[in-house]
Amino acid sequence: MNFFSNPSFPSCTWERYLFLAKFHFALIAFSLFLFPFLLHADVSDSELDAANRAYTSGNYDESAKLFQQIIATRGFSAPLCFDLANAEAKAGHTGAALLNYERARYLAPTDGDIDHNLQLARKQAGLDPNSYRWWQIALLSINWMVWLGIMAACLLLIFLAIIGTSYAPAISSATKIPLRLLKNIFRAILFAGIPLSLLMGYVELSTIGFNDRIQGVIVAPKEATLRLSPFDSADSIGTIPEGELVTVEDRHNDYLRIEARDHHFGWVQQKDLEPVIAGSFDVKPSD
Amino acid sequence: MKPLLSAWVAVALFAFTTTSCLAAATLTQKIDPPEVNVGDQAIVTITVQNGSVDNLNLPQVDGLDVVGTQSSTNITFSNGSLSRAMSLNFAVAPSRTGTFTIPAFDIHTQEGDVLHVKAMKLYVLDNGASASTNNAPAQAVPSPAPSSTPSANPPFNSNGPVVMPPANAAGNSSDMTTGNTLNVPMESDGRPAKVFMVITPDTTDAYVGQSITLRITWYIRQDVDYQQDSLPTIKGSDFLMNDLSYRPHDDEQAIMNEVYRSESWVTAISAPKSGDFPLLMERDSYWIKSITTNNLDPFFGGFFNRRPNLAHESISSNQLTIHVHDLPTEGRPANFTGAIGHLKITGAAEPTSVDVGDPVTLHFSVSGEGNFNYVRCPTLASDPAWKTYVPTFKIDYLGDESHTQAVKTFDQSIIPLKNGNVPLPPANFSYFDPTTKQYVTVPIALPEITVTGTPMPIASASPVSGTDSTAATPTPTAEFLPNRLEIGSPQLSLTPVYRQPWFWMIQGGLIFLTLLGALFLFLRSRSAPDDDRATRALRQRSLQQEEDAMAEAVRRGDAVAFFVAARHAVQLQLGTQWNLRPEAITLGEIRDRDPHLAEALEPFFAQADEVIYSGQASSGLDLAQWEHRVRTELLQPQPA
Repeated sequence: MNFFSNPSFPSCTWERYLFLAKFHFALIAFSLFLFPFLLHADVSDSELDAANRAYTSGNYDESAKLFQQIIATRGFSAPLCFDLANAEAKAGHTGAALLNYERARYLAPTDGDIDHNLQLARKQAGLDPNSYRWWQIALLSINWMVWLGIMAACLLLIFLAIIGTSYAPAISSATKIPLRLLKNIFRAILFAGIPLSLLMGYVELSTIGFNDRIQGVIVAPKEATLRLSPFDSADSIGTIPEGELVTVEDRHNDYLRIEARDHHFGWVQQKDLEPVIAGSFDVKPSD
Repeated sequence: MKPLLSAWVAVALFAFTTTSCLAAATLTQKIDPPEVNVGDQAIVTITVQNGSVDNLNLPQVDGLDVVGTQSSTNITFSNGSLSRAMSLNFAVAPSRTGTFTIPAFDIHTQEGDVLHVKAMKLYVLDNGASASTNNAPAQAVPSPAPSSTPSANPPFNSNGPVVMPPANAAGNSSDMTTGNTLNVPMESDGRPAKVFMVITPDTTDAYVGQSITLRITWYIRQDVDYQQDSLPTIKGSDFLMNDLSYRPHDDEQAIMNEVYRSESWVTAISAPKSGDFPLLMERDSYWIKSITTNNLDPFFGGFFNRRPNLAHESISSNQLTIHVHDLPTEGRPANFTGAIGHLKITGAAEPTSVDVGDPVTLHFSVSGEGNFNYVRCPTLASDPAWKTYVPTFKIDYLGDESHTQAVKTFDQSIIPLKNGNVPLPPANFSYFDPTTKQYVTVPIALPEITVTGTPMPIASASPVSGTDSTAATPTPTAEFLPNRLEIGSPQLSLTPVYRQPWFWMIQGGLIFLTLLGALFLFLRSRSAPDDDRATRALRQRSLQQEEDAMAEAVRRGDAVAFFVAARHAVQLQLGTQWNLRPEAITLGEIRDRDPHLAEALEPFFAQADEVIYSGQASSGLDLAQWEHRVRTELLQPQPA
């Protein structure tokens, strides 16, 4: 259909001119609004190109440095962390590579490419695989904003059903739906909505619980020493290999109490560990 | 009040005596260490639980002298039961090498029980000076002789008020050298010293790096007891010592008719170099010198105004000489890392069937007694069929706090580079046994691994092992997936959304809204029933009135009055059911809501309209039949 034959388009000539002027003004204003972003995107893309060129030409250290700069200026994203991890892995920095693969997986838990490279890097480092199980993928595949929407929808539905039950006679009169049928509909929504909301709340909290562990990756060259207590003079009770993912339980000065994947506990120096969620060691875990 | 008090005392006494009487006397025995050199001492400890023993002596054994005895009693009350342990320690010193057997004997307790002490064996070895002449196996490498004989122990802490050992006991150097006999220093008033400390190593002959278990016991007389704020330390820098626990083992015992509280630690020391070194420990100690009482408080006899005057001094222990020998260089295995002790090692691999490139984890476990800091992962022989990784380890300490007994576990990843039935590289572990004074190399049996899949390229492909190697035809291996050429949606922080307050505020707000709605519904339901009941009662009364009017009209034969009343009754009935005003119930409304009902009511409404608007009924109209029909069919509640 022709745009000008649209019934909503003004029929009078001066009205047409006025409409077109408004349209053009809006278009120009929108373009001006987008200009800084487009310009910024160009700059970033050139940086990304440079980092990728360094990677393809085999300058992995340089590539890793450029990706780190992009992340420092633009922030974390799954593709950027993935690319940085690739560069670190090729440069032979096992700990940094696995750290950034873990960050990429944290941002995009269902991305199969990230998991493939992560597992390959772990394998090359002599570490056991740590792929997510199906239920973990199912839990993490739901975005937090989607969770918010689901919970909002469930609770709003319950709220409307409650209000509807109260005003069922009036609604029945207005809509001519039999009162009994209307009441049954509202009751059904309540009886289904309340358990559904509870179930969704439980799953949401479980997902948060699974995700809310403070995790870190060993970045010390080769291995980090696990100590019995958080002091330099404490007995060594083991080592954790570079690149291993551990859960942080507590902190004491410069030492972190960690749980290794084999459920062995001990203290490691904070400098030997980098958090998957940057900055999460800043707050004492036990707090 | 008095009878009640007496009853309580009687009950308490009954409980005490009953507990004491009911608990049967038991006995434990040990000889520590079970193996000594000539000149060293061993302690035979016999502990009688819930029993008392008088004048106990060990049976005479030729060549084994009892050089000291000590007894102590420990009474504990826990979980509502009282227990008493009487320990008798005998320091025995062998005068020659060989195996001594202390024969079995019986102990008769004062309570009438007879306890049987089993025979105990003591193995006595030749000391280092004559070790080269013993009948060691051919591969045994004898340890060197001590570099010098122990020098006379200097008197320690001679300036302090408490001297251990006392100056007059210095001549008894053999007792104090090993610390096996508790010689309590005496004070000028004839009483035992207020504070003293005793150290007891498990041996005074050791090798460089060997862990020597050391028991440290600090005694304070109960009448001068005061809280301490320091730990014992080693004087000098000849030995390394494990950290002491901040919580010592507290005990109480009677020594020379005085009650002492003791604090003891078990730790381990090691010497980094060879030679004869004095071992002496110190502890900053406090004890109550006197009590100052404030006489301004006569009512309580100054009980609340007693102030202790403290004495503070560094208390030294008995001094020992530890003879530290160099480890023999002859026969030292290439993979020896300094592990000394009595160790056992096991090895395992899992899984035993993998694809090429998949890791196999080797588990090595070293257990026993020794210096576990020097225990390293067993070495694997170089094998081009396997790629090895840095092993990780963990230690689980067993036994006491000396950390000399442990299980050290090593996990090492190893990746097969070729397929077939590939044997794992040979592994072995070496340590030095201080008892036999020789190096021990233990080969570790590892299973053969079944490797499937395509072999990986080997830089120096020289398959020397394996039964089905096809390493000559390398194929591409798994590769990293390429970079993403996009920036994605960057976010400045990785902090998850659920850590943001608004995430919870929105959900909390919705839950609050829902609860508010439920509350509203609840309050409304509480107030609504009265209105509904009143309305229903009113309508019921109206309906009854109309039915009465119908009956009266039939009796009088007044068709108009009958149909007016009947139609109003039907409207009341349906209005109640549909929650509508009766006037709103018309045939059209009924047709909208229930077509079947409308069809049934249509003749009635038509007849009613005809009669009401015409003002008269036809001659054949049977009002009684209409009344019956209205009552039975139309005034019954309609299904929803």
